[in-house]
Amino acid sequence: MKVAAHLAKAERIGASLARCTTADYETVIEGCMLAGTHLFNLLLHEAGLRRDDQDAMHSEFLGAGERRKIAIRLPGVLEAMDTIESLRTGYVRGDLPGGEAAAGRAFASLAELRRQAAALAARG
Amino acid sequence: MKIDAHLQKFRRLDAMLARLDPVADRELWIWTAMNSGVHLLNAALHHVGTTDATDSFHTQVEGLYAVPDRNRGTLRDCLQAPGDVMHFGQPPLARPVPAPILRAGEALREIEDLREPFVRGDSVPPNGAEAGWSAAYDACITGLCKQLGIARQAA
Repeated sequence: MKVAAHLAKAERIGASLARCTTADYETVIEGCMLAGTHLFNLLLHEAGLRRDDQDAMHSEFLGAGERRKIAIRLPGVLEAMDTIESLRTGYVRGDLPGGEAAAGRAFASLAELRRQAAALAARG
Repeated sequence: MKIDAHLQKFRRLDAMLARLDPVADRELWIWTAMNSGVHLLNAALHHVGTTDATDSFHTQVEGLYAVPDRNRGTLRDCLQAPGDVMHFGQPPLARPVPAPILRAGEALREIEDLREPFVRGDSVPPNGAEAGWSAAYDACITGLCKQLGIARQAA
């Protein structure tokens, strides 16, 4: 998908997330995963690491070689995406205690992805 | 997970869904409806014995489960028979699925099929499409609650 479309989707989902609190932790984690994945793809396309007709679905399933390239070109991006993805099993599909803290981590990781996307846009 | 844990998750997500607008919050509405339905589907499948109610969570990898150590707060990977399903039909089930649950699962699949065009993709649904989505969600939830012998909202 085109960069502008990813940004528009991330902003739409972000607007929905803005009406959630960490008490809504399942929805927050999933919303951060969805908005984060759009920003992740935007960053990959802008950095020339993936074509815009080859969107990634889950960062954890990318090959080792591609992950190493992303880690060099976009430091911190994989960590943010992996953090969000890692919360889904325990707090959305599962019932581990500490869901509100997990949602806080998801929000913080999404903020990092937004920061990186804005920084890349500012560099032109 | 255990049936009670799925029901708690369902009720949290069903209440969340009521706060979302299927037009303005389209992406999160679709995703929350799917997650809500999957938890209730798992409760129903455990209830009728099609799948086992184990203290394990389905991971992002089909057929791979995470088992919590409740004392240490850790998870360990485990390959086991279902268990929870990730989506309707994933993983496939060896034991028979009663017809009412199959019908509810087909309604859930209608919601799941919305992910690719309208959440991951940027397709714009036709005006009024959300009424059909809500009807599919309600058909799924009503059928599963009936199978479980429970009210949609906790007493």
